[in-house]
Amino acid sequence: MADRRRIQGPEVSVAPIILKSPNKIQLLDENLCRRNGRNLEDIRSIYLKTGLISQANGSAFIELSKTKIVCGVYGPRQTKIPAFSGKGNLNCEIKFAPFSCPKRRPPYRDSQEKELSQLIYEALTPSIRLDLLPKSTIDIYITILENDGTASCLAAAITCASVAVADAGIEMLDLVPACSASYINGQIFMDSDLIEEKRESGSLVLSYMPSLKEITHILQSGEVELNLTSQAIEQCTDSCSKIYSIMIDSLLLPIQNMK
Amino acid sequence: MSSSLISPSELDYIIRGVDDNLRADGRGRLDYREVILETGLIFQANGSARCRLSKGTDVLVGVKVEIGSIEIDGTDEEVAAVKAKRGRVVCNVECSPIASQQFAGRGADDINNELTQLVDRVLNGPQGGLNLEKLCIIPGEECWVVYIDALVLDYGGNILDLIFMTIRAALYNTRVPKTVIEEDKEVEISDDVEEWERIEGWELVPISITLNKIGTRHIVDATVLEELATKAKLSVMVNKNGKICGIQKIGGGSIEHGLLNEMMQTGRSIGQNLILNLDKMLQKEDEINAERAKNDKIGFFAAA
Repeated sequence: MADRRRIQGPEVSVAPIILKSPNKIQLLDENLCRRNGRNLEDIRSIYLKTGLISQANGSAFIELSKTKIVCGVYGPRQTKIPAFSGKGNLNCEIKFAPFSCPKRRPPYRDSQEKELSQLIYEALTPSIRLDLLPKSTIDIYITILENDGTASCLAAAITCASVAVADAGIEMLDLVPACSASYINGQIFMDSDLIEEKRESGSLVLSYMPSLKEITHILQSGEVELNLTSQAIEQCTDSCSKIYSIMIDSLLLPIQNMK
Repeated sequence: MSSSLISPSELDYIIRGVDDNLRADGRGRLDYREVILETGLIFQANGSARCRLSKGTDVLVGVKVEIGSIEIDGTDEEVAAVKAKRGRVVCNVECSPIASQQFAGRGADDINNELTQLVDRVLNGPQGGLNLEKLCIIPGEECWVVYIDALVLDYGGNILDLIFMTIRAALYNTRVPKTVIEEDKEVEISDDVEEWERIEGWELVPISITLNKIGTRHIVDATVLEELATKAKLSVMVNKNGKICGIQKIGGGSIEHGLLNEMMQTGRSIGQNLILNLDKMLQKEDEINAERAKNDKIGFFAAA
């Protein structure tokens, strides 16, 4: 008899091959404008809101046109493992919704999700005062509802998680905005979407603490000249400063509304 | 995880040593340990290599090539058209429990996954160096899949750099069989070893240089204790032409903006020098292997 407790669908899913697309996608028009009217160095407009999940100690939602991410922060709570630790534990878990990508993602945790969780952990730990929270654990759960470019998703998830941690009232050194960029034909496309990302020769994700001027995470792939990398880092830190002000606004807004 | 502890006095000793440009083993900040390299140890594999850092890390890599089907994910026609003409690289890194107590049981899961994803990302993109189009047998249908499996046998710090070095050496050692496509699209594999070819572009496979920020300075090729004293790690992947093929910060801690630029530059110049030295060693290794084949003298510890 078939096992009814498990999902009965086929083990692998394959997206249909689209045989003909009407015309070739132009990434840039003659005025160096991108498909959605942005300039090369423009990032997509951001909607950021805190405190949507009633049960969580802190939560945030971020939207960059198609990219949508929710984050809930639980804790600090007592660590369940009996071993003593002088510093607090940070536990990050990122999850793609099965319908978030062009191809269906099976609901179990895959290796990419594990890796992204690790990257977010590495990006956030420098900012959180874990030394003030011995024997405690903070849980950060992130769900990606819609993915429009994995690099920009990672950046948005870091931004969103950082706001959620602040919303939970956990002591931090600074907020951590993050920004992504794609290298396409030797040009830097800031905050690229899925279609641009598929044509990139490399990408950069950078998270940055603007008040401390410290980089908490950097991840670059692709074959790039050192000069171009430095330029992209420069542009990403600039964009991070812009995102930073949006993050502050989103944290202040609910307090102002209380008055 | 008994090995992950460091006492305050040890920490202080390391930080001051790094500040004075003199480390516990007598090296300066930017000195690498001696690398011992050996190729062609595993006869079941299409290519293999083993690298050791003196008194430290030991990595063994086996490369196997197998025929597989080309995976096409649809939706984007332009992207699918490029993918249909390419072979694939599949990477796996495993830290064996014999190397360290901390890799026992499920303790190695996280680090295995982190290293596997990192290596896979670097080698599968355009920066990987290998000419994937040469690995295609029938466009849209069949290709060679290059399985790269790295095994960490001993742990003395700086695993990632050594994994990349060993992979590069193993790819140099790899031979892909010749194929003949018959009329009914059956693929015939040549069994004449003389006809087997090296994968094109192995020389452009990048290596990684990991820089450890200790105190306000940075060092390369850290030992286990130095890694425990490290505030933040930055791995810079460099190829023979001096292009940056990847940058990743690993572990907690943050890096100042100015220091980041400095670290990238150091990583790049050290990486280029190291590649030159490794290439010399690989050439020598060819001669040694030819000699060994004559004498029937083979063994795992021949180079050590």
